[in-house]
Amino acid sequence: MGLPKSIEMDIISIIAEVAGVEEDEINSGSKLVEDLEIDSIKAIEIVVAIEKKFNIRIRDEDVPKITTVNQATEVVNSLLDQSASDV
Amino acid sequence: MFKSENSIYDVVIIGAGIGGLVCGCYLAQAGMKVLIAEQHSKPGGYCTSFRRKGITFDAAAHSFGGFRKDGIVRKVFGDLEITGRLKITRYDPSDIIITPDCTVKFYSDMERTIEELENAFKEYPGRVKEFFTFLLNPAQNSFISMRAWTYKDLLDRYFSSPQLKSVLSFPIFGNGALPPSRISAFIGAKILTEFILDGGYYPDGGMQCLPDILAARFQEYGGTLLCSTFVEKIRVKGNKVMGVVVRQGDYFAAKCVVSNCDTVQTFCRLLNLGSTNRDFVGKMRSMIPSLSMFVLYLGLDGKFNSGLCPGSNMWYLPSYDIESMYLVAMRRNMKNLNEYMLRVSPDRRNIVAFTHTPYRNESYWVKNKVKFMEAFIKKLSLIMPDIAEHIIYKDAATPATLYRYTLNYRGAAYGWESILSQLALPDFRKPSFIDGLYLCGHWVTQGLGIPGVTYLGYDTARQIISKKNRGLL
Repeated sequence: MGLPKSIEMDIISIIAEVAGVEEDEINSGSKLVEDLEIDSIKAIEIVVAIEKKFNIRIRDEDVPKITTVNQATEVVNSLLDQSASDV
Repeated sequence: MFKSENSIYDVVIIGAGIGGLVCGCYLAQAGMKVLIAEQHSKPGGYCTSFRRKGITFDAAAHSFGGFRKDGIVRKVFGDLEITGRLKITRYDPSDIIITPDCTVKFYSDMERTIEELENAFKEYPGRVKEFFTFLLNPAQNSFISMRAWTYKDLLDRYFSSPQLKSVLSFPIFGNGALPPSRISAFIGAKILTEFILDGGYYPDGGMQCLPDILAARFQEYGGTLLCSTFVEKIRVKGNKVMGVVVRQGDYFAAKCVVSNCDTVQTFCRLLNLGSTNRDFVGKMRSMIPSLSMFVLYLGLDGKFNSGLCPGSNMWYLPSYDIESMYLVAMRRNMKNLNEYMLRVSPDRRNIVAFTHTPYRNESYWVKNKVKFMEAFIKKLSLIMPDIAEHIIYKDAATPATLYRYTLNYRGAAYGWESILSQLALPDFRKPSFIDGLYLCGHWVTQGLGIPGVTYLGYDTARQIISKKNRGLL
């Protein structure tokens, strides 16, 4: 099953802003380090912005999993699912 | 009516601080038509020098870091081919901390520093090395994990000795104006690695040489630098920047505008967003700026020997309680001048010393500047008893002075406080609601000091060049 498009679009929008590229230049498979040249400072900016946007807390053990846009979307999605089921 | 509408630039940069100059150099090097407008008569921002009685004083920044083999400042100087045009000396030890019990020196030889710290504080063998190694060679993700930690959290993971933790926090307090429980671990780690473990570099001739060489290089690349040029307004049409209007009335059209000013000036004064984007401006207005500082400048006769190490930053730590020190600094007055940094110039002709203090207001400083200065000199005479007899020139920069020369909001020394809630806010670097606007100074919440703003200037230029290369500018 595909992931909700709006979450991915929000994540792409955050990454585009931080990386200084246009949204249409980023897709699900874009690699954060190799394709978008995300360094450690930008990585913090992206994670902080995602956490604020979705009101979630990304666990330290999930951070290494995030190497592409798609993986970021998956992590956010699973955290949102979890917080929905916690309610 | 504007005087002229015929000056069209690819990029106009407001402010010739180090961030603005580095950004301008890269853009001009890439063949772009760039204008830098600086309100002061000379470039540099907090990195300037001035001469009195034949002695050169550094106004605020008094040494720099990030110049090791893969350091950001060395990389940028290499890219811009200016390394060979400056004579840079690394003073060793770069920093000396005088604690209530002992003196700790930070050497260019890290092993020697580690040995000194371990001997002084009897920490677990190897722990200091482990800590420094982690900071200097972080894995890509380790800093991300630190985004929610304070520097205290980070220190607590490595050390048990309160004294050692205090010694490793004092230079962070000195260079970031926050105690370990408040400063973000990421910024604390950056200060320790880029200012202290790789600090103490100084250009022969004074700190002004750094902005001067960058300004010269910028102009060699074809850039236009206008000093004494106060920008009144950034013009925006729809949500796209159009250019800037300067006080003299001229209008400079631009495809992009880079603001090297603080965020309050940028969003409130230059863009007047107070009425149209109240939510954003309201949030910004509720943020906390870093403390300012009181800087003492003493010119000395050639006969004085302070007995101190010229070129080293000397940090006087009166107690190990840096948390209380911060609370006292927030209500600094001449009776509680406790902790301070002092540097004897390499030629031994001057001393620059500073301590953190709140901004208050201009009239407070008009009334109290001289009293503060005298109290500070009295404090220094405790470690240099005969200094008063050798002073041939004395002056000071109050927070109001720092504001007047640089226009930094409330004379803040380090932009917004680097607390967790104010870390890494993307809208401060590239606001999502205005196309073509970038910010690149220490107010953008990702970097402090010369290495921090050098990175931001470089990275901002990289983003704009990449946009141009993709045909989007």
